[in-house]
Amino acid sequence: MKIEHPNRPAPKAEAGTPLLTVDNLAVSYGGIKALKGISLNVNRGEIVAMIGANGAGKTTTLKTIARLLPISSGKINYDGRDLGPVSAESLVEYGVSLVPEGRGIFPNLTVRENLELGAWNHKSKSVIVETEMEVVRLFPRIGERVKQVAGTLSGGEQQMLAIARALMARPAMLLLDEPSLGIAPRLVADIFEAVARIAEAGTTILLVEQNTRLALKYSRRAYVLRTGEIAMSGNSKDLADNEEIKAAYLGG
Amino acid sequence: MKILNAIIAGVAQGSMIALVSLGYTMVYGILKLINFAHSEVFMMGAFFGLFLTVGFGLDTSPMFAGVAGTLAAMVLAGLLGALVEKVAYAPLRARSGGRSNTNTRITPLVTALGMSVLLQNLAQLLFTARYRSYPQLLPIENARTIVFVVAVVVMIALQFLVYGTWFGKAMRAVSVNVEAARLMGIRTGRVISMTFVTGSMLAALGGILYCLSQSQVYPTMGVVIGTRSFVAAVIGGIGSIPGAVLGGVLIGVIGELTKLTPYSGLQDVIIFTVLIVVLLVRPSGLLGKAGIEKV
Amino acid sequence: MPRIVRGVLITALVVVVLIWLESGFGASPGFQTVLPDAAWRQLVLFAMVNVVIALSLNVINGMAGQFSIGHAGFVGIGAYTGALVAGHLHVRLGSGDPQFANSFIVMPLVLLASGTIAALFGLLVGLPSLRLRGDYLAIVTLGFAEIFRLVIATAQTGGTAEGSVAKFLASLGGQNGYAGPEGNGVPQYAGPFWIFGSVIVATLIAWRIKFSGWGRALRALREDEIAASAVGVDPTRYKVVSFVIAAAGAGVAGGLFASMHDGSPTVQPDSFTFVQSFDAITMVILGGSGSVSGAIVGGVFVTVTVKLIEQLQGLESIQAFRADHPSIDLNALRMVVYAAVLIGLMILRPEGLFGEREIFRRKRPKKGGGDPDNNAAQKSQSTQESTQDSENSTPADKESTESASSKQATSETLTTAEGTAS
Repeated sequence: MKIEHPNRPAPKAEAGTPLLTVDNLAVSYGGIKALKGISLNVNRGEIVAMIGANGAGKTTTLKTIARLLPISSGKINYDGRDLGPVSAESLVEYGVSLVPEGRGIFPNLTVRENLELGAWNHKSKSVIVETEMEVVRLFPRIGERVKQVAGTLSGGEQQMLAIARALMARPAMLLLDEPSLGIAPRLVADIFEAVARIAEAGTTILLVEQNTRLALKYSRRAYVLRTGEIAMSGNSKDLADNEEIKAAYLGG
Repeated sequence: MKILNAIIAGVAQGSMIALVSLGYTMVYGILKLINFAHSEVFMMGAFFGLFLTVGFGLDTSPMFAGVAGTLAAMVLAGLLGALVEKVAYAPLRARSGGRSNTNTRITPLVTALGMSVLLQNLAQLLFTARYRSYPQLLPIENARTIVFVVAVVVMIALQFLVYGTWFGKAMRAVSVNVEAARLMGIRTGRVISMTFVTGSMLAALGGILYCLSQSQVYPTMGVVIGTRSFVAAVIGGIGSIPGAVLGGVLIGVIGELTKLTPYSGLQDVIIFTVLIVVLLVRPSGLLGKAGIEKV
Repeated sequence: MPRIVRGVLITALVVVVLIWLESGFGASPGFQTVLPDAAWRQLVLFAMVNVVIALSLNVINGMAGQFSIGHAGFVGIGAYTGALVAGHLHVRLGSGDPQFANSFIVMPLVLLASGTIAALFGLLVGLPSLRLRGDYLAIVTLGFAEIFRLVIATAQTGGTAEGSVAKFLASLGGQNGYAGPEGNGVPQYAGPFWIFGSVIVATLIAWRIKFSGWGRALRALREDEIAASAVGVDPTRYKVVSFVIAAAGAGVAGGLFASMHDGSPTVQPDSFTFVQSFDAITMVILGGSGSVSGAIVGGVFVTVTVKLIEQLQGLESIQAFRADHPSIDLNALRMVVYAAVLIGLMILRPEGLFGEREIFRRKRPKKGGGDPDNNAAQKSQSTQESTQDSENSTPADKESTESASSKQATSETLTTAEGTAS
């Protein structure tokens, strides 16, 4: 599927060069230091994963990149632009979309209305219609249910809707927070296959996942978070063979 | 025959109440906040209407003055509503940062109450407690029908706004998940402001229609009507637009029917009792959805 | 000196002072000696009554974090009950001027009756309503208070009432108020002894509640109801009991109010409207919800400003001012200022004047409970305790440390509450 949005220029970063750079990011809220200074980067066209135990700070990282949380110190740089002063509402204009933990769909709206809201520039109707067709091709189950009220979808279908909705903005970079959480295993496989296809089309993906096996299977590189810091990083294949990782996250 | 008259009067009265209820229900739907100051916007709207109608040349061209005055008053009231939101409610939202515990829920309540008291007494200071008469621009026989028709038109327009426009979609999105709405690029602060503006404009219209058919303007007029409208919104299902309309009509009819009985002084007692019963038995109201009661 | 002996001596001293204030031991009452102006005496007594109201509201609004905006209703119930009891007893005691000695017969019964009846209504209101969420609960409390007031105010007093209920309501005087069974005013048995005494007792009770395991459970409930119920704190039970206690306190205040020396001879429904409920809320929030000292300060402050305005209105200079500006309603001005201050507080400093702190620090509590004896008569050295820390931190760092330390405090209070509650 096409990923450029006609109303937004393509990213300046070349394929294989960093699109997103996080530099020594520290985040505190409620008196708790959630992130103690993490640094990572995501190259254009890559799928990069963040793995780690619950509470390690993975979701916090994504939410901060999406500007839902304030930065205590450090920098986030997307395509040469400092994201610090950017607000959460404006982020989608830059081409970054977050699929939040827990899906975050609007249960009182229909599937189609959810999708329409995802297409941030609601004035260009033709773009919206075209994008909806592509998104539905990617997630046929959603296509079958466009008129259904979103709250009546199953968990897996809601997750698909959430991803589809984020894609409606034609993001150059997709942030995915725990897509497998609470979803039946068969649908999880479908979802990750779709994610792979999204990446193949050129979308850069930063993925946070509890399911370490899936995360390492579908990503090129990964970062391991532990209590707010990066404990390890490297190619996903190497990490999957790493003894420590296997013991801690892959059940030995 | 008397009962039929009472019912008709009740429906007319009720549609005016419904206009005010819509404001309560819209704000509650989007912020889960009871905007106690809404009844005072109703009252201020009537005052604005009075002064502006006179100002636009009541003697020379009553028709023009009436319409222009009403529209101008609605605009002013909308601005007042937006101001209340910006000054009193928005700072609390920013501070609580989305957390929701008992402390963060009491503060907005106190603030809303405070705003209501502030506006009411401000009006008292500015306009004195004197009862003023509103220019009777509508012929009495038609007043009721006009009120009813206006209310119905407004409701249809509102329904279209909420379910047929992008802004309405945004409003409905913000009412269930503010964070996700922000991710969609929706300027939630603006959506919330506009909700207040719309509700306030409707309240002003309700106030003016009330005065056109009942004719007196005074600083405490918001209290009684405000309470009834709020009860109407709750009965109909707070957060539901059709619910606010249904509730308004019900309250209007109950009120008029009560006036026929020897207990007419107990009108408000009955209304409060109905409110309490509804809240205890079916808090989501007649048309509301029984959702999970968040603690 | 052993603590018990010290406590008994202090109590005896207090009692003697109070008796002196009221009766002067045969000479002119001490209170009149200290404050020769009747208007000042009225102010002080009224302030004390308001303090009891504030202390009682603080239990439900402050400590338990539930929002009641109909508190004036319970005060009113207590007032009417107290007036009825005092009036009828007075007749039995032979009418005439209320005697201090007789007040020992009348006042305990008045206070018991007003407190109990108000508590019963508190149960009636609270039991079904307290499972509603905050804003709905507020509306229901307002509704009940208004129903109470309207039922009494609109009772048909012209003798046309039928049925025992209607007749009883009519006997309460409707809009004009109740003036005792003989119509010549509610007998004024509540002098400085009873009023100051009640304030002291109420303060002790409030203090005890706050610093007990029960109070900690309430705070845990207020911070996070779901977490609290998960560790076995039954929210509804605690809320209902706090509500009943608050209602009882309000009722006692009402009983005092009805029968107050130098007070109004009638009990009128207009004394118990939403304005009074709003004033009560202001008292608690201004002082700092959750703080006993705050409730006291708030109660005094609000009373003083209310009465001050009344006095001001009588001054010549003000009357001249008002002649020039006849439309300015000083009371409306007061309400505007109050409301603005309240809103400002909510935005800038929602914890009020004291937050949860107290003027007097309490001694380090022994295991499993609090120090029960009154600290009001002495400042005590206190060793810092972690819960105390989070309560006493300055507002500046309160924002950042509040959640973290209150999280710790919540879990600590929960474990202690588990042990000492139920």
